[in-house]
Amino acid sequence: MPTFSNFWSSRFVLNLITMRKYNSQALLEGLQADIRQLVLIANKLRSEDPGVLLEQPAPDKWNVLQVLEHLNSYGRYYIPAIEKSLQKNKPATEFFKPGFIGDYFTKMLSPSEKGTVRYKMKAPKDHRPSPHLDHQPVIQTFLSQQQSLLELLEKAKTKNIGRIRTPISISRFIKLKLGDTFRFLIAHEQRHFVQINNTIVHVKKTGTFSVSL
Amino acid sequence: MADIDQLRQFITASFSLKGEELEQLLKIWQPYECKRKTILTTAGETERYLYFVLEGIQRGFYIGDDKKEATIVFMYPPSFSGIADSFLTQTPSNYFLESLTACRFLRTSWKQIDELMNLYPEIRKMVLVLTSFILKGLLQRQVELQCFSAEEKFRTLLHRSPHLLQLIPHKYLASYLGIDPATFSKLLGSVRI
Repeated sequence: MPTFSNFWSSRFVLNLITMRKYNSQALLEGLQADIRQLVLIANKLRSEDPGVLLEQPAPDKWNVLQVLEHLNSYGRYYIPAIEKSLQKNKPATEFFKPGFIGDYFTKMLSPSEKGTVRYKMKAPKDHRPSPHLDHQPVIQTFLSQQQSLLELLEKAKTKNIGRIRTPISISRFIKLKLGDTFRFLIAHEQRHFVQINNTIVHVKKTGTFSVSL
Repeated sequence: MADIDQLRQFITASFSLKGEELEQLLKIWQPYECKRKTILTTAGETERYLYFVLEGIQRGFYIGDDKKEATIVFMYPPSFSGIADSFLTQTPSNYFLESLTACRFLRTSWKQIDELMNLYPEIRKMVLVLTSFILKGLLQRQVELQCFSAEEKFRTLLHRSPHLLQLIPHKYLASYLGIDPATFSKLLGSVRI
């Protein structure tokens, strides 16, 4: 999450100017395609040596399973929250216009075009997993959460993703448009898959890992 | 030719569907496009769509727990595409479907096909004929995988679909034939056509 100082940086002002309107269907289809890419990579991680997945690149840095478990911890909040918000009966509209905050979060979390992470952040306390994790259940949970997200995105195609709002995990008083909740949640996952890629390359000390986004 | 006429031509050439049933079947398709290397279906996901390929190539593949990846099928125009078993049974797919090039499709959903099959016996029959030929092809391929030498597999592929050699990365073709990529390039060098 952004700190107060960079919240008001020029990038935030720039964001107000560069916000665009999306075709709702195309946006949701695009997000499904993004998730499918992560599912493919996570399936490749299943056959990775558990030792590689458990090795921390530095004492204060996460191993691959911690990164996945960090994502799982957000899924455990957001998937039921989105499910609940989708019960609202507001039919789909052709276009979706992001909200200021949702768009800002998404752009800040998204990896750059070159596939690098732009702003370093520190995870909140509840979302810092222990380094001692069992690889199969962590990866399995991640995969089944992605299947749930794919289904929720499918369901969202029939709903108004600009009118339905979902409370964010740190405060139920701040609600984002459902379209933005999906966008920032998936941008967050992509960001951490850049980290997973870097971690594996570092741990194996060889060339590149074939999980590029 | 308009996209839907390509589909009409494909169906009338391959199946005996006509009249009201044909018109009803042609009504349920929407255009869909994707870039190259787009995952259309993942393992664990139930195939929602039946595609008719207008442009581009897709591959279906399996990822095992032991770093093994197997390419099991290629699809290119004019033909149907999608993970067939998952689509027909509406159970989770064991396979991934991805585009190897930019693709253009017409696509329809299981729900729409299912409704038409319940209304029109002729459409149900067409789906049965289609799946029967898929089954026939798969059993033939099973024989080729088990009985043919690497060179025979390679020659059969060259004979049946020579254009694939230019269109599909050779590592995927080697995987499809169940032969080593190095053996594949050796054969390619020796069996000049």
